[in-house]
Amino acid sequence: MKARILVVDDDEALAEMIGIVLRNDGFDPVFCADGAQALATFRSSKPDLVLLDLMLPGVDGIEVCRLIRAESDVPIVMLTAKSDTSDVVRGLESGADDYVPKPFKPAELVARVRARLRPGDSKAPETLTIADVTIDVAGHVVQRGGTKISLTPLEFDLLVALARKPWQVFTRELLLEQVWGYRHAADTRLVNVHVQRLRSKIERDPEAPEVVLTVRGVGYKAGQ
Amino acid sequence: MHNHKPALPARPPLGASGNVPAGSTNEPESPAPPAAEQAEATQAPVRAVVAPEGVPATARAHRTGSLLSAGGSLRHGAVTAAGVRAARAKAVRAKAVLAARAVGSSASAPVRPLPGKDRFQAASPLVRAGWQRLRPVRILLAKGWNALLRRWRISLQFRTVMVMVLVAFLAFAGVGAYLSQQIANGLFQERLQQAKQESSRGISQVQESFDNAQLSDLPSVSTYVRDTLTLLEDSASDQGRRYLMVQIPGQGNSLAVRSVDSGGITTATIPDALRRAVQAGSGQFWQSIPLASGTSDVHPAVAVGSQVDLLGTRYELYLLYDLSQAQETLDYIQSVLWLGGAILLLLIGGITWYVTRNVVQPVSHAAAVSEKLAAGQLEERMTVRGEDEVARLATSFNRMATSLQDQITQLATLSQMQQRFVSDVSHELRTPLTTVRMAAEVLYDARQGFDPINKRSAELLYHQVERFQALLADLLEISRFDAGAAVLDAEPQDIFQVIQHLVEGTEPLAEQYGSALLVVSLVEGNSSVVDMDPRRIDRILRNLVINALEHGDGKPVEVYVASDADCVAVAVRDYGSGMGEGDVARVFDRFWRADPARARTTGGSGLGLSIATEDARLHGGWLDAWGMPQGGSCFRLTLPRRSGSTLTHSPLPLPPDGAEGGFVHLTAPPAPTDDEVPDRVAGVGGDAGTSGITGVPGALPAGQVAP
Repeated sequence: MKARILVVDDDEALAEMIGIVLRNDGFDPVFCADGAQALATFRSSKPDLVLLDLMLPGVDGIEVCRLIRAESDVPIVMLTAKSDTSDVVRGLESGADDYVPKPFKPAELVARVRARLRPGDSKAPETLTIADVTIDVAGHVVQRGGTKISLTPLEFDLLVALARKPWQVFTRELLLEQVWGYRHAADTRLVNVHVQRLRSKIERDPEAPEVVLTVRGVGYKAGQ
Repeated sequence: MHNHKPALPARPPLGASGNVPAGSTNEPESPAPPAAEQAEATQAPVRAVVAPEGVPATARAHRTGSLLSAGGSLRHGAVTAAGVRAARAKAVRAKAVLAARAVGSSASAPVRPLPGKDRFQAASPLVRAGWQRLRPVRILLAKGWNALLRRWRISLQFRTVMVMVLVAFLAFAGVGAYLSQQIANGLFQERLQQAKQESSRGISQVQESFDNAQLSDLPSVSTYVRDTLTLLEDSASDQGRRYLMVQIPGQGNSLAVRSVDSGGITTATIPDALRRAVQAGSGQFWQSIPLASGTSDVHPAVAVGSQVDLLGTRYELYLLYDLSQAQETLDYIQSVLWLGGAILLLLIGGITWYVTRNVVQPVSHAAAVSEKLAAGQLEERMTVRGEDEVARLATSFNRMATSLQDQITQLATLSQMQQRFVSDVSHELRTPLTTVRMAAEVLYDARQGFDPINKRSAELLYHQVERFQALLADLLEISRFDAGAAVLDAEPQDIFQVIQHLVEGTEPLAEQYGSALLVVSLVEGNSSVVDMDPRRIDRILRNLVINALEHGDGKPVEVYVASDADCVAVAVRDYGSGMGEGDVARVFDRFWRADPARARTTGGSGLGLSIATEDARLHGGWLDAWGMPQGGSCFRLTLPRRSGSTLTHSPLPLPPDGAEGGFVHLTAPPAPTDDEVPDRVAGVGGDAGTSGITGVPGALPAGQVAP
């Protein structure tokens, strides 16, 4: 079955070009040119992934991202012309899983889309624990003290990657490769922002993390 | 101010009224003695003036600051020559000390506290306990003193007021002392003249009466004398003239009384010096004395003595004049002077305070306002009142602030506009460029199916779009720096991680150029955590390495890493054609190319090193260049370990391999430790070989090959 991808971009030429590329690679693109319509289109088309331009007429891309994230865990990849730290971080904090800076290559875009659409890797039944958090890998469920914690697939992958090797310190580059699927060094801010988001969901006190620990100057590791 | 009240006698109090050997007794006192003598007389609390004949002076100090405090001196006779006066002044100074000692040891002298450290030993436990109890008070005093000192330092007003008050006090003290002394002298002289005139009149009356006496028995003599002398008491002008008549010893006469007095006056009252003078010569002598009245009060007084003759017997007759009224007048005048001085002092302090406040207040107001302005509160203004100089200051200050505010606002607006422009252009250009780029790539990927012309066109389109994109990216980056929109996103990270990635990323390019890429680590453990924005540091180093590969002529490119407690340095060294002096100087300029012909083929925007410089500056780091024609070139990046700290040196010399000569372009002052570094490099380099990075035989002491 073809994966359906919602492309939210006001630039028709670019949207069309993205459509060509995506169709070429076996995806089923759906388009929306207006931020205000984005949520409605998202609900009606039920896409597997959203490609979202940050600058949109009507409702801001960041707002759209927040709205979608509020009702769905579907992967969101931002298309951004701004590579300023604040914009990227704002986008990531509003719930996007990844971003592709303009101008991007078709291959780059497709690689990101594929990485986010990675099927559940037919995970074996496996239960992991970090601190007081229990992870049922196959069931995609994270619990703490019997309470279920809702994570996006990306956050889940990040947590699982750390939990599988609690003895290892993961550099940001390593996490980018394992979780996001980047081959070469990319923006480590992705990791930082997502670790913050993950912490805000699973830590009792995000200021004093117990589950995902920072190893100064190196990266992150799972708590004991 | 003097530590005692000025006393009336401004001149030697005891003097002969000019009846030199056989002189007349009623002569008025000779003019005031020389100034030196006067000063001498007023300054020492205990004074003794020695007569030229060497008659010792009597010194008494029963009541400091009173008429008595002058002590006594005897001046007898016609010694008026200036030379003798000078000699006397000298003798006075010498004897004064002796006299003072004599007073100290005499029974009548007041008991003085033990001097100096003896005080503590004498009363030690009690005193020490008291000293301890005073500790809080002492601390309080010290605090107060410190507060005063601080006030003195920081407050111009306080300082001015204090100086004014001090100067005024000194002036008043001087004037007050002078006035007081003049008045004292005047009063004393007046009373003395009066006393002497009355005395000579009285004594001559007595003598006259005695001369006419026809007496034969002792009781009648006694009665006669008493009756005669009582007249003296009555005829005194103002209160208290008292008398004492004593027989001069050594006369055998049956009709002689031993002594007659007006009550309370004994020979002890009369100083010996005066008695000797009266006994020795004919004439009138005087001396100021303390006169006991009642139980404890001692009044200043003047004793005037002369010889009288009664029935062939010589007597000393003394008339004593109480000067306590004059002393009271003097005390009153002094207290008025003191009070007036104190009030005047307060007034001057107050006026100074008010005046300086008026001047200083606007100044400190201006200071406060300008501090606020400097802190960014551009709305702050001074209040303008009136039309005086202060108002003018405030007006022009406000005008300055307004123009400053306008300019800053304008600049801020401009900067904001530029930032928005850059951001907008960035977005507006990038979106179509993305479409073009994607389209070009789709065409490029499908070029095998095109005819040769279309195929070549697709290739050209693709490559030039790539180049255009790179150029645009660099332009936007540099304009972001220019607009001040670049933000450092620093986090602690290991520089070796960045280098590792860099080496992996540039491997294909190195292979393409046929250059070996070596990492020479001078850091033990191959780990050095620095506060950095890894994106920017990666961009700097990538740029340096790619440049080195492009200009390296296929020779090895070395990446040196060194660090110390404060900073980390990475130097990229190539052995290509190098750079001449002009090239090194301009290498960081925008759009500058070492070899214009070659630039076309290698591409690049010509902005790479400019961006690298800006990135380094954003980190508070340095980017320095070194080059030598045919000797290769080297770029060194030095970063502070803690973001925000200032670099003072670089742990790597430039060039790091110790090559001689060449030209250096520093973006920062020359490092003072550079001279020491080559040794360290050699030493640590040896260690680094064992520290994990694969050694490359023959190339360098240590290194990692990234072929």
